[in-house]
Amino acid sequence: MARCPFGTQRTRRFIPWASIAIPGAGWLLFGLYPSLATIGYSFTRYSGLPGTPLNFCGMCNYHAAFTSLSDQLWSAVRVTLIYVVGVTVLQNAIGLGLALLLNRSGRSYTFYRALIFMPQIFSVTVVGAVFALMLDPYSGPAEKVVHGLFGTDSAFLGSSSLALPLVMLVNVWMFSGYSMLIYIAGLRNIPASVYEAAAMDGAGRFRTFRHVTWPLLASATTVNVFLTAMGTLGEYALILVLTGGNFGTKTLGLYMFQSAFGADSQLGYGSMLAMLQFVLTVVIGGGLLYTLRRREVAL
Amino acid sequence: MTTLGTAKAARAAKASKYQAPSTPPGAVRRLLSMRTTKAVGTNLVCFAIAAGLFALPLVYVLLQAFKTYTGFLQNPTGTPHPWTTESFSAAWHQGNFGREMINSLVYAVVPGTITLILGVFLAFPISRGYFRFSNGLYTFFIFSGFLPGGLIPLFIEARTLHLYNSMIGYLILTSLSGAGFFFFVGYIKGIPREIDEAAALDGCGYIRFIFTIIIPQMKPALATFGIFGFVAAWNNLILPLVMLSDSALWPVTRGLYSFFGEYSQNWPLIAAGTFIVAAPIMLLFVLLQRYLVEGVAGGAAFGTQGVSPGAGAGGAEVGGGS
Repeated sequence: MARCPFGTQRTRRFIPWASIAIPGAGWLLFGLYPSLATIGYSFTRYSGLPGTPLNFCGMCNYHAAFTSLSDQLWSAVRVTLIYVVGVTVLQNAIGLGLALLLNRSGRSYTFYRALIFMPQIFSVTVVGAVFALMLDPYSGPAEKVVHGLFGTDSAFLGSSSLALPLVMLVNVWMFSGYSMLIYIAGLRNIPASVYEAAAMDGAGRFRTFRHVTWPLLASATTVNVFLTAMGTLGEYALILVLTGGNFGTKTLGLYMFQSAFGADSQLGYGSMLAMLQFVLTVVIGGGLLYTLRRREVAL
Repeated sequence: MTTLGTAKAARAAKASKYQAPSTPPGAVRRLLSMRTTKAVGTNLVCFAIAAGLFALPLVYVLLQAFKTYTGFLQNPTGTPHPWTTESFSAAWHQGNFGREMINSLVYAVVPGTITLILGVFLAFPISRGYFRFSNGLYTFFIFSGFLPGGLIPLFIEARTLHLYNSMIGYLILTSLSGAGFFFFVGYIKGIPREIDEAAALDGCGYIRFIFTIIIPQMKPALATFGIFGFVAAWNNLILPLVMLSDSALWPVTRGLYSFFGEYSQNWPLIAAGTFIVAAPIMLLFVLLQRYLVEGVAGGAAFGTQGVSPGAGAGGAEVGGGS
């Protein structure tokens, strides 16, 4: 333990504590406490109306979720898993492709990279409005294209078969610039001498990628896959704006949000769903880290 | 002697650089032109992707904003026939974006600034190891980020503490979250602790030391987190949705969300509103594009440290100075 050099003999013991008092208290009050209280509220039937009691009910919410309301729960879990896996795979594939294509010097490439990065700095409301217009079933350009190509109409975000893939694509559109940048940072860490050696050995383009670039990008892939999966797992604002959770797009996060802050305002049930979301995050996150790290070592 | 030598070499290199393209033999010239054609081709492909896939939706929506409603109904996907900016002024008035813009600015700037300053005050003693359990405290802070999301209890808490549906309450709630603090701990370790002792010997007080010595030293880190914090706060939809019911307190994102539901199908109006909301962030992006893009690359490097084996060693260093 280092000694604080500031203050007088008497005050120097208290200065570090005074320094962390306000931010530390804020963190306890608005960071740690709400997180832990989620566990407590998940055992209640608290409705959130002022003056109503907590209504502690033990495992009632968990019991209901896995029995009478299990259809809704499993549907939400299924949508969440499809969403996370689909977005993670697609966004990483596209991010890697873009990185390989755009990792070049020159002003024009800087500009292109900035353009591709740009969508994610906008609010989900802005992105939601943009794609609601693009995919509008009456007057949007996507409708025109589909009608011209197949001669059929589609409800797009209002269709139960297309809504989920489309929301996933919007998510990928928004964030693939981020994956691209991480892959570019990884590509720039690969020394040029490795490529020279590969060229000397007569390796073609595909073999160079397969045996040089891809293994050396392993740590960038780890970061990318982990961050995309965790980010997508917690994302529900974009879905809320695009479909409101209708047409088979209700993920566990959105289910939680709508149970708690929708018309029913079942804060206890919502807390229980937040707990299940937490369990899912730990399982997926832990599993991903474990496999990705082992893969890194194996490569 | 050596300087003369290098100067000569540099001049020779410069000369050869100028001469080489002027007199290439035929084969080399052909190869060069082949290369340039290929480079131009790649460049065009990249342009098509960046412009056609990533910028086009935004440009398309911007075009709609210059139409009248009847002009849009007559030709929804074409270019505006009479170009007009009336949708913008209509959206500005009907959506109350003026007031919401000020709200957003307050919600983004005030907590952003306070969070940065409090973050430094929290990070400094922990980074310097002034506590018996600085290392453990730091690890605990980091792991607390993996606990279940606390949105619902935060809402209940805000109502109990009368922070719900109030501007001051919202500011208190968002100012005291301590974001960016983890990064600061590592950054402060890079500032030599000899400065602390020298300043203390000269009778510099703690608060003055933080503000005049540490904060100026941390400018790059503070700038990065300031920008990202501003953008994140400006774009936040969920927290205003939960915490602010009175429309006079709404930030622009929350306003646009309702505007969008209210005027559905009047696309020129919605498009104009969307661009009013996006404009400040777009301006910020154009001005600070470099920091934003580099910040992500830097954050990625930071992320790599977080999950790679180096992380354990990095965490242990925190209390290492004790």
